[in-house]
Amino acid sequence: MNPILKVDDLLDSRLMARLDRLDVISRKIFAGKIQGERRSRRRGQSVEFADFRNYSHGDDLRFVDWNIYARLDRLFLKLFLEEEDLSMVIALDMSMSMDGGNPKKFDYARRLAMALGYIGLVNNNRVSLFGFGAERIERLTSMRGRRRTREMGRWLLDRRAEGIGGFTDGMRTIALGGQGRGVLIVLSDFLFPDGYEKGLNYVAGRGFDVFALQLLAPEEMDPARHGLAGDLRLIDIETSKETEVTASTAVLTQYRKSLETYVAGLRDFSVRRSITHQVVETSLDLDTLLLDYLRRRGLLA
Amino acid sequence: MTLFAVTWLAPLAASIVALSTIPPLVALYFLRLRRTRRVVSSTMLWKRATQDLRANAPFQRLRFSLLLLLQLLALALVVLAIAQPQFEFGESQSRRIVFLIDRSGSMNVNDAPGDRSRLDEAKQLAENRVRSLSSGGIFSGSAPSVMVIAFAKDAQILCPFTDNSAQAITAIQAIQPTDETTALSDSFELARAFSTVTDPDKQSTVEVDAPAYELFSDGRIVDLSQSVLRGGEQVIFHSIGKTTTTNAGIGGVALSRNPNRPEEVQIFARVVNWASEPFAEDIEVFVDDRLRAITPKPVEVPASQDDKALGIRIPGDTQVVFPSLPLPKGGVVEVRIAKHDALIADDRAVVVAAPPESLRVALVGRGAFVMRSILEGMPLESLDVYSLSEWNDKLKKDALTPDTFDVVVLDDAMPDDLSRGRYLIFHSPPIGTGISSYGTKNNLSAQSIRDEHPLLQYVNLNDIFVSSMTAVAAGGDADVIVESSEGPMILTFNRGALTLIYVTFDPMESDWPFQRGFVNFFANSIEWLAAGGSSVADEPLAPGDVAKARLPIGANEISMMYPNGKAIPIDEKDPSNISYGPLRTSGVYRMNWSVPKEKNEPTSMAFAVNMNSRIEGRADAAAEVKFATERVAGIQGGASVETAAWPWLLLAALAVLFLEWWVWLRRV
Repeated sequence: MNPILKVDDLLDSRLMARLDRLDVISRKIFAGKIQGERRSRRRGQSVEFADFRNYSHGDDLRFVDWNIYARLDRLFLKLFLEEEDLSMVIALDMSMSMDGGNPKKFDYARRLAMALGYIGLVNNNRVSLFGFGAERIERLTSMRGRRRTREMGRWLLDRRAEGIGGFTDGMRTIALGGQGRGVLIVLSDFLFPDGYEKGLNYVAGRGFDVFALQLLAPEEMDPARHGLAGDLRLIDIETSKETEVTASTAVLTQYRKSLETYVAGLRDFSVRRSITHQVVETSLDLDTLLLDYLRRRGLLA
Repeated sequence: MTLFAVTWLAPLAASIVALSTIPPLVALYFLRLRRTRRVVSSTMLWKRATQDLRANAPFQRLRFSLLLLLQLLALALVVLAIAQPQFEFGESQSRRIVFLIDRSGSMNVNDAPGDRSRLDEAKQLAENRVRSLSSGGIFSGSAPSVMVIAFAKDAQILCPFTDNSAQAITAIQAIQPTDETTALSDSFELARAFSTVTDPDKQSTVEVDAPAYELFSDGRIVDLSQSVLRGGEQVIFHSIGKTTTTNAGIGGVALSRNPNRPEEVQIFARVVNWASEPFAEDIEVFVDDRLRAITPKPVEVPASQDDKALGIRIPGDTQVVFPSLPLPKGGVVEVRIAKHDALIADDRAVVVAAPPESLRVALVGRGAFVMRSILEGMPLESLDVYSLSEWNDKLKKDALTPDTFDVVVLDDAMPDDLSRGRYLIFHSPPIGTGISSYGTKNNLSAQSIRDEHPLLQYVNLNDIFVSSMTAVAAGGDADVIVESSEGPMILTFNRGALTLIYVTFDPMESDWPFQRGFVNFFANSIEWLAAGGSSVADEPLAPGDVAKARLPIGANEISMMYPNGKAIPIDEKDPSNISYGPLRTSGVYRMNWSVPKEKNEPTSMAFAVNMNSRIEGRADAAAEVKFATERVAGIQGGASVETAAWPWLLLAALAVLFLEWWVWLRRV
């Protein structure tokens, strides 16, 4: 994967064209601050029917169900879910651990954030980007409309992965930040020395439809297949602490068990809090992720 | 060096190798483990994985450096192999080993594997032991020093401490069987004497390097209870022979001439049974190898019994008395058990019956009536009576005059020359003997009496009263037989051609002549002196004794013919006093000599040597030996008691290296 040197490296035009057809969906009904573009755009095509009620004086005649009137000779009014603008928050892990992997998890996360943000912008959602790292939270909030795409790209281009953790503070800031209710997409490897539980607890139950996309590098998923063998001195990219490991079959097997246990723990934690968890191996093609995986997981439609 | 019952033949080489290889190995291990540095997003999961693995691993510490441990183990095995350990199955060992090999009569029992004698088996085991000690292997480990001592009645060093195994083996192979009794104390004394090291820098300090003793014996040793092991001394007992072997033998034989018919002899024999079952067998009498008598029915000998109070086994015995046999010219009388058993030597006993003795005796001095009467009553060939001056005159004419008499009795007289001859002297101190007089003592009685001495056979001196006695100081060659509170009363002296019995008092100044014992003492003295200062003439010798003979003047070309027919020349300038020996095996020895043709004198003398079955006839081997201080269990069949372990250690090292290689392959 090419290094990210300019905005176009974050999202190429081919993928951009394919993303135009996608929209971010939420399992929850949110009350937006302003009416969104989507309502007028999809009127009469994909309205979400909610209920009927008797017609009363002053009601908009456009919503009278004339078919029922023809059969029953009574006026019923069709009630539709009011479609509002969607608040889409993308939280980007900027801790040093995201700088690892081949391709780098941070680059993959920035590309993914760019793509998701683009989908949000083109669908006239209110898109906010948060970057959290060690004792720092950087944000680009309340963007709307396709024209903000380059601004968003530049912002992502300027972000750097540095420091340790910051996840808990980042989630707390987002939860208390008054971004409005919407979709929160967390892009992180969730490998935090102090744990992910506290941070996710901040955003779970705050009205967000949370998607936890756990980005893991291929060598993290299967070290043996990616050259991690023999007697190793592993250096933690965040803490610079060294761990001596003899990557024997037994150790590798145990590592895989530990990873599975860790991922399963995150998944269980997420499920119990209505958080959608998805492991994303950074070797996965972004098209496939967006057009297949995330659609199946209900983030995109 | 001995540690943990293992002899290390080359500890220095092993130490050098260990010091020069183990530290580099450890260093190389860490060098080899220069780990590949890899930057990862997080080591959190790796730490968890390794922690889980350690928690589940049975050998947590070993696992960390299993390869190093395996390499160290292989190297340790190689180092141990270089040290050349020799395992001894529980024995410990000094750098000095004394091989004590029993060559007594009981070691002639043929119950060793292959129907060999116990001595052959002991020699074989000892030889193998020496070879195993000196099997140096591939490196120059120093074998312990070995001393070889053969012991029976006495101990003999056949090979002083040596590192030369060939010398020790040659000494072992040269050990010849004997029929002697078994005494071990001398062996320890000899070994200790050779183990004593005097440090010249510390003139007053004597350091003793206690050796280890390896005893090859059947354990039937007479003086075990008097043998004390000193601090640091260890004994390994190689038990030779079977503990189930039984034996019967002749415990003693004696002849007695009929006083009324001197041409006839009566034969007494004692048959001994060491078995736990009664024994019955015919007993035969041979005279000059011709069967002359046999018991009318098998002689029954009761079984042996254990005396639990004394802790010894007492053999059953039966005395056999044969009818008188005519033996006018003397001869070799042999008593045999008709059927041989495991120990042949004690199945026969020989006694030499001398012809009826006819002695020539001279009485010099006062010629007291009592003495003259006693001598005239004895069956002498001649009795010549001289005054002191007459005797001195004869001496002046011929200095060898004393040799023409078997015994010269000096009755309170001392001739001018007392350099040769056999004398019974009363009262006057003998000149030129170192026996010095220092006055007269009165009113004395006998205080210390050696009843066992042949001179005192049937002589009771407990009631003797002596009114006056010459006080003398006995010299070094004197042997005091009876002693009063003021000095010796009767003593013997033997030096070169001179043998004498000295009674320090005049019998006429005591009440002794009125006692029967005086006559017996006179007769015993005449016989003892005539026999050359030994015991009574006909009594057989025991194995290990020295044969003493008084040959005629002018005898030459003297030789001793052994029971096996081998003749050994004797180089003796004075034929009147010959000592030859020790005679170690039982049987009849014949001393032959030549005399000028004009003399009609005998030219041969026989000596009987008998193994006493009461002392040496016990044939069941002992499973342990009980010293005064401790008991030592025996090792059976200890031919390969020491085994070199270095080939096995190298093999084990190779196996460990293969294992290490396999583990390494699995890891990579």
